[in-house]
Amino acid sequence: MIIRNVFMKTLYDKRWFVFGWTLGLMALTALMVTFYPAMHQDGSLEQLTKSMPPAFQGLVGNLDNLSRFSTYLASQLFDIRMQIIAGVMAIILALSISISEEENGQLRSLTALPISRTAIVVQKWLAMVVILSVTVLGTMVGILLFQTMINESIDLGELARLIFMTWILLIALGSLTFAAAMASGIRSVALSVGILVLAVSFIVTTFSVGVDWLKDFESFSIFYFFPAVDIVKEGIQLRDVSVLIGISVVSLVVTLIFFRRRDIR
Amino acid sequence: MKKTKTIIELKNVTKKFGTFTAIEDVSFSVEKGEIIGFVGVNGAGKTTTINAMLGFSVPTRGTISLFGERVVPSNAHLSHRHIGYAAGDMELPLHLTGQQYIDFVMSQFKGDHTDRLEALLKQFSPQLEKKIKTLSRGNKQKIALVAAFMTSPAIVVLDEPTSGLDPIMQDAFLELIRSEQKNGVTIFMSSHYLQEVAEVCTRVLLMKNGRIVEDLSAERLQRASGKLVRVVSKKAVIPPPHAKQATTTDNEHGVTTEFSYDGPIPQLQVWLAGLKSVTDLSVGDRTLEAEFRSLYDEGVEVK
Ligand SMILES: Nc1ncnc2c1ncn2[C@@H]1O[C@H](COP(=O)(O)OP(=O)(O)OP(=O)(O)O)[C@@H](O)[C@H]1O
Ligand SMILES: [Mg+2]
Repeated sequence: MIIRNVFMKTLYDKRWFVFGWTLGLMALTALMVTFYPAMHQDGSLEQLTKSMPPAFQGLVGNLDNLSRFSTYLASQLFDIRMQIIAGVMAIILALSISISEEENGQLRSLTALPISRTAIVVQKWLAMVVILSVTVLGTMVGILLFQTMINESIDLGELARLIFMTWILLIALGSLTFAAAMASGIRSVALSVGILVLAVSFIVTTFSVGVDWLKDFESFSIFYFFPAVDIVKEGIQLRDVSVLIGISVVSLVVTLIFFRRRDIR
Repeated sequence: MKKTKTIIELKNVTKKFGTFTAIEDVSFSVEKGEIIGFVGVNGAGKTTTINAMLGFSVPTRGTISLFGERVVPSNAHLSHRHIGYAAGDMELPLHLTGQQYIDFVMSQFKGDHTDRLEALLKQFSPQLEKKIKTLSRGNKQKIALVAAFMTSPAIVVLDEPTSGLDPIMQDAFLELIRSEQKNGVTIFMSSHYLQEVAEVCTRVLLMKNGRIVEDLSAERLQRASGKLVRVVSKKAVIPPPHAKQATTTDNEHGVTTEFSYDGPIPQLQVWLAGLKSVTDLSVGDRTLEAEFRSLYDEGVEVK
């Protein structure tokens, strides 16, 4: 197979990454799906939840959600677990196709060829989007596959909504990190942007249920724009989609502006 | 691409890293077909100059033109269509095999270059089947060199191209440069091997502390040769007129006097005949290499 461009080269370089992470995320879904029968509740624990202090409710989640397979998956898999784990994956991916290649000198070799800086950015970014799509689709296939083992079946529309939102969330996280790396060329900058967004989001989202003053800052968490249970129950909100896609687009534009005019190591 | 004889031109290029000035006010131009040797001690600023020249970095001040067009990072790829580049410390894509890399580079250029590639593969016989990250430094370098020359570029820029090559490959490389010269290719190469620079270059730029301090033309290079005289005697001798860079060292065998000489030969003969109690004597050709070495040492002051 002839690797003709940066897009193909990035996919080729990352083939084992895709394979490993897709399997990993499928394993996570397998685990969460097979837990469902044990966790399944038909409302009898509602009283118990209500009696807990609100801070605990935030950590455990609404036990109501355990009564249906789709809300169970939304609250136990897509809310926070999947977001954090796949978010880490998106950040690692973004760093490895940008700053890592610059640090070891491969980016300079690319720049020496007749490939424009714009093309390098766009093709790498597209490859990242494709890789994230494959891993997210793997998760979807995993759910469809493993649900047969427990004789459940999720509504396809509900699953598609969750998967779509996961997809654009990961692209937003990856794009932010990619932008920091390609615009600055400094690993610590890129790494802190990625980790900061993820860590702040995690803390804000998990604690805002219990800590009153944090409520005002809820929207500082990127996960605020992916309320998994509401997405299953009420559908996708235009605002959430716009924010997440907006983050990606702005990141890409910033990358292009800075990367086209800076030194390459 | 405008038709010009001047194919590389730097005007007052300065590059600072923070407050540190790596190169300052560098200006030179290169005509089509010249083979430029770019020399200077470690840290003199050679790589910094080359990086700015190819648009890898943005000069703090000054302008760069290739093929008569002003070059900035966002348009550098246009001139790269006619430029080959290789560096001794270059990292090639680690996950590809040599063959995959060659194919990848080839895909970025227009035209059919298979014949040219075949010839280069014969000359350098690089290992193409192995993954690049498993190759030795010299073997990586061979692939980089093949990739730099295989598209028959008008300019080839090389940053210490032979630093990891074995002597046989170094010879193959010099052979390649000579044949490229016949094809009218312009070559700009930095090197620490003064011998190889002396052998193939038509002009030498010497860099010191971030400035170009010597620009030795072809004629100057021809004339640079003279005699290197070494005399061992019981007592110290006074070197003849026209002697340069004379040194004397004392040891138990006597006094050794060394100097280079580019005056009339009969005069040297007369001087030699007048020497007393000489225990050893040698008169040899002063190589270009020795000439460069003295330039490094001289501490050429910036004017
Ligand atoms: N990115 C950078 N940041 C700070 N200083 C730098 C940077 N790149 C180069 N320098 C400094 O600029 C000076 C010139 O370096 P350069 O690499 O151009 O030297 P060189 O002539 O190529 O040396 P060598 O023969 O060792 O390759 C050195 O003092 C170096 O430390
Ligand atoms: Mg160097």
